[in-house]
Amino acid sequence: MSVSAKTAVILCTCSGFINERIDWEKVQALLAGHPAKPLFKIDSLACGVDNLEQLVPWLRSEKPQRVVVAACSPREHEGTFRKLLADAGINPYFLQMVNVREQISWVTAAPQAATAKAARLLAGALSRVQRHQPLEARSVPVRTEVAVIGAGPAGMQAALTLAKAGRKVTLIEREPFIGGLPVRFEELFPNMECGPCLLEPVMGELLHGPESGQVQLLTLAEVTGVKGGFGNWSLTVRQRARYIDAELCIGCMICAEVCPQRRPNGWNASGEMAAVDVPFAGALPNLPHIDADVCLRLNGSEECAACQAECPVEGSLRFDQEEREYGIDAGAIIVASGAVELQEIPAPFAGLADVHTAYSFERLLAMNGPSGGELLGENGSAPKSLAIVQCAGSLDPDGISYCSGTCCRTALKYAHLVLGKAPGIAVSRLFREQSAPGVDAGRQFHHGQEGGVRYRSFAELAVENGPGGRTISVAGGASVAAEMIVLCRPIVPGDGTAALARLLELDRDQGGFIAQSHPLSGSCASPLKGVYLAGACRGPGDIREAFATGTAAAGLALSELVEGRDLIVDPQVASVEPSLCAGCKSCLQLCPYKAISWDGAEKRAAVADLLCRGCGTCVAACPAGAITGRGFSRDMLRAELEGVLS
Amino acid sequence: MSCQTTAQAAELPKVNESGAGEKNPKVVAFLCNWCSYAGADKAGASQLPVPQELSVIRVMCSGRLEPTLILEAIQKGADGVMVLACHPGDCHYKEGNLRAFCRAELLERMLPQLGVDPRRFSFDYVSAAEAEKFSRITTEFVERVRSLG
Repeated sequence: MSVSAKTAVILCTCSGFINERIDWEKVQALLAGHPAKPLFKIDSLACGVDNLEQLVPWLRSEKPQRVVVAACSPREHEGTFRKLLADAGINPYFLQMVNVREQISWVTAAPQAATAKAARLLAGALSRVQRHQPLEARSVPVRTEVAVIGAGPAGMQAALTLAKAGRKVTLIEREPFIGGLPVRFEELFPNMECGPCLLEPVMGELLHGPESGQVQLLTLAEVTGVKGGFGNWSLTVRQRARYIDAELCIGCMICAEVCPQRRPNGWNASGEMAAVDVPFAGALPNLPHIDADVCLRLNGSEECAACQAECPVEGSLRFDQEEREYGIDAGAIIVASGAVELQEIPAPFAGLADVHTAYSFERLLAMNGPSGGELLGENGSAPKSLAIVQCAGSLDPDGISYCSGTCCRTALKYAHLVLGKAPGIAVSRLFREQSAPGVDAGRQFHHGQEGGVRYRSFAELAVENGPGGRTISVAGGASVAAEMIVLCRPIVPGDGTAALARLLELDRDQGGFIAQSHPLSGSCASPLKGVYLAGACRGPGDIREAFATGTAAAGLALSELVEGRDLIVDPQVASVEPSLCAGCKSCLQLCPYKAISWDGAEKRAAVADLLCRGCGTCVAACPAGAITGRGFSRDMLRAELEGVLS
Repeated sequence: MSCQTTAQAAELPKVNESGAGEKNPKVVAFLCNWCSYAGADKAGASQLPVPQELSVIRVMCSGRLEPTLILEAIQKGADGVMVLACHPGDCHYKEGNLRAFCRAELLERMLPQLGVDPRRFSFDYVSAAEAEKFSRITTEFVERVRSLG
């Protein structure tokens, strides 16, 4: 770039704030000999609407090739002056600002020193701006469809919010049914609301509501491949066979009644179900599914046709159904893959009878659970005592160090519910710490403090069998009756979280949950542009949070991908000069936004401008100098350095 | 944030007492846009003193700075160079400040090999709220560089 480009320099006085310390006449004299031959103009308030209006014709008549504005912080008005340049027909990136107000006139007492400093920093800007390149913001058409991974409350809420805004949504669920965990909960804290009653209208709306046509629901489906980027993702989704024709089946479940085969019901954490069955009454979509390993026909044991013979709708059972692969194109992805309670039972409780996790106890209390909602022990009768051990594995600095934040309210809920199921039952809660946040939960908290026992570490709990029955004792402390035991185990990322994070190239936090763009201000977005987060994949949370973050993630997708509005790509990003790239791959690991990809055929790196946020870490790291930061290039920084040091 | 050992420092030339205050040193400070530059702006809004010798160069992220650019600054006549970043965990770009820290550690070790007193280089963290810290550390650094002559 020529060093003699005609450069206009606007010297703002900021209504007297700047020229109180800086003598603009003297600055002009000091810079008169600068090779850029600056054309100065003093302005009383350059950012003022009237002043800007007058600057446009001045710039149009003078036709400078570069513009320097010495005024306030670029953090405040860089956008204003870029627009001024654009209005005057000059490429907006031919601008350089000098922050003479905040960083000179307000911090330098002596006018002479302030004036000298202003001249020095202006010299830097004059040199730098010569190196500026004309940049064009690229405009890219975007897809506005959204793929939502996980059909729990968060994913359903996100999908419905998007569908109501007219968006096409693909809702991808790994389980054979939707609703996530709480659809299996009889009552929800803090107000003992019926879980299915809360969720069924939401599920109904999703499946049959006015916007249901906007939503493609894929159950028994998992994402197996991800390509592309913000505005244009391409997902491969593999759907396992249900062996049921979803269009024909009326969901009468006669097939389950006549099926000769049984399998453990993992969704109930106990009991059995038929090879063709639903895991619990009320699961939606109202369709059974067949476990091919257990079904005699599908596992090749024999030509069983018991279900087919009794099915009232011919053709509903489809033994020939195969796994299907879908290609899903979407502009954004919402991850709502949830979390689970750790189900392994630790010592000293492992192997004992009538020991539940919070999840298996939840199912025991549910009307559609293994015992029809009756509180029964393994001997078939109601227990006389219940001990709920909270923090069972949490708050452990050597293990799961965090508090899951929901178990106290769950335990208080159980303590309340069992009184109705087994009148007279003695309930104790053992905990290391208690946390029941929220206005509504206050009542729950204060009504449930009887029978509370504090323990310090899980290791000091012992189970003893005495003449009075089984007890849990705290070393050197209380001992409580514990005919039935519930362990509130830590909430951890769901099984598929690690694999999904790998596929989407998302980082995970210390707990293994999907890392958020910012823990406070960006908790519903991942650092990867166009991937948003909802619900407990972000960390343990309750249903309220799932609904709220589902709405929030949908809102982010709606605001960033608008029908008919192209994506404007900031041109001040990094770019690789292919002829200089040595193929060392140093940059690939450095980019926090996965914006750099590897071209295996050409053996060189490439930056996706859609994903790059312009931090320049790769620019600094490239040993070959092959990466340029457009808008912050090595040339520009060097020129500025030379200018201020001259 | 110094990784300079006392043994290494002892081998360096002593502070030039006689030369102290005799000239105005040229000091360049590279500031990241989101935290340190905002902190410098806040120092302005709070009217806190910032040395007139300091020339601020704004970069979007401290992770943008390659050590060679800092060496170039010294080569081109800077008497001291500062790199100011967001505090760990606060980086607008997640971890650019940590890259900058690693590079600063290496650079500090390398400077004596190149015959440059490592006290002429400083890496530190300044948040958008730390106007007072910005004012204080820039003043102290300019004085340190001045005393080195």
